[in-house]
This record gives sequence, structure tokens and C-alpha cells, in this order.
Amino acid sequence: MTGKKEDIDVKLIKYIQEGLPITKTPYKDIGEALGMSEDEVIQKLRELLNAGKVRRLAASIAHRKIGINANAMCVWRVPKERVDEVGKIMASFEEVTHCYERPIYPDWEYNVFTMIHGYTDAECEAVIKAIREKTGLNDYVILYSEKEFKKVGVRI
Amino acid sequence: MILCDTDRKILHRLQSNLPLVSRPFLALSEELGIDEDTIIERVKFMIEKGYVRRLAPIINTQAMGREATLAAIKVPEDRIEEVSTVINEYSGVSHNYLRKGKNTSIPYNMWFTMSAKDDEELHSRLKEIEDRTGLTVRSLPTVKKFKIGVRFKIY
Repeated sequence: MTGKKEDIDVKLIKYIQEGLPITKTPYKDIGEALGMSEDEVIQKLRELLNAGKVRRLAASIAHRKIGINANAMCVWRVPKERVDEVGKIMASFEEVTHCYERPIYPDWEYNVFTMIHGYTDAECEAVIKAIREKTGLNDYVILYSEKEFKKVGVRI
Repeated sequence: MILCDTDRKILHRLQSNLPLVSRPFLALSEELGIDEDTIIERVKFMIEKGYVRRLAPIINTQAMGREATLAAIKVPEDRIEEVSTVINEYSGVSHNYLRKGKNTSIPYNMWFTMSAKDDEELHSRLKEIEDRTGLTVRSLPTVKKFKIGVRFKIY
């Protein structure tokens, strides 16, 4: 790992993390601003994507603004030995956007977290019902977001 | 419905990678059967209207060498505004929601994500929030990832 290479990654991401220029030639325009060629920008982005440092070069949607108002975090109490099996089933639902195993504490015994997005609460709950049927799990809590205090993308 | 068919089609596609070619919107126009100028104009419109936050890299904090966690905190009803203001001050906080259990009550009501350059900084920030608010912050970092990929079904 060379310091210089890292610097270019950071410089590029910092420049575009607020948004790519919406032009016919965005990569060329980024290159011009940063003193890189269009090919270098494209190559660097390809490397960042291949290395998994950038998950996607894509649109972040303001889901509430387009009517996807229901956002349920459903947490499940899953026996440790079933976490892998159940996690995969939950992740297979299109409406489940995130699925993670997280630690438990004496006052918190729900170890699998699923984020479910839908246009309505009923739509989210239908997914939860389907997950229950498919996994046989019944120990869960649905947490709806009552208020959004902050929602921004991850920045470096 | 807020978006027209053309917008929905564009939005659906743009949740996946923008092509890494000189004229990415031209490449999309061939895929979608919508001309390049229209795509550019509609994307600008959707950003301007706030339907799209941005078209940008979605960063993997951990692969970039950063540490992150989901944190939960129990905030008394009359301190919600005050505590959320403290939490939101941190640039590493990418989201912060008030959540309520629907079918069962739960011990925390405010949920936020925090990232930092390393574990030490992450924990010192969480500790700082505890000190500033006098409340306990429960950290729930990822043990195992099964899915991450916010792509909404647009219809």
C-alpha cells in the first residue's frame, strides 16, 4: 500500500461523494477538476468498486419523498446455531434491504436485524409474516421510525 | 404517484452502477430506450426536487479502513430534541431515528449509526455522547453481514 495511491482514492472520493456532475461526460469533467485524465478516473473508480471500497456508483434515493414511507426495522431473537440459515432466508426477500447479526446484552436479546422498506406499514408487515412462516421464528419486534433526525450518506 | 414512468424507469436503473464509460448516460439511453438528453434532464430534475439525494459512490466504511456501529440510547421524552441535536453534531453520524416498538416495548428509542477512523475514535465519540448527555449508549456493531444493498422496488 503506497501512501500516494491512497491519497488519490481519498481525493477522488472526497470530490465526488456529494454527487457526480450530471453531464454527458462526468468522468472527463471530474478528471479536469482533479488534474486526471478521463481514463484515469474511470480506471480508479473501477479499482475502488472491485476492491469493495465503493459498494456502488449509484443513486441514493430519498425513499420517503417518493412515497416509500414505511421503514420497519424488525429485530429477531434467533438461536445462535440458526443465525446463518435464517439470515440467508431473510436476505432473500427483495423488501429486506439490510440484514445483519448484532451482539446481545442482558437488556437486549434480539440478535438479527432486518431493515424492511415499503410503501405502507401493511406491506412491511406482510414481509415479516412471510419471514415468520418461512423460518418458524416468532420472537421479534417491529420498530417503526417515528421521526428522522438525520439521514445522510456515509462520507469520508 | 409522484414520479412518471420515465422517471421510475431511470430511477430503478440508477440504483445499480452507472456504466464506467465515457458517456454513461448514452450507455443508459441504449439500455432504457430513453434518449441521453432526457435522462440527464430527468436526473437533474429528480436531484433538484430531492427525490434523489445524489448520484455518487456508496462508500464501504470498513473497506476504507473505518469502523462503524449502530448505537441505541434510551432518551426521556422531554429530552429528545436536545439529545438528537448533540448526536447529529458528529459528522460520523449518518443517520439518526426515533423508533418505537410496535408489538413489544423495547429499552431504547433513539437509534443512530456512527463511523470513525478507527475503533478508538469510535469508542471515544460514543463515550463523549454519554458524558454530554448523561445517558448510556448501547453499541451494536455488525457481527455478520447477510445483506446490504438499499435498492428500492420502484413502482
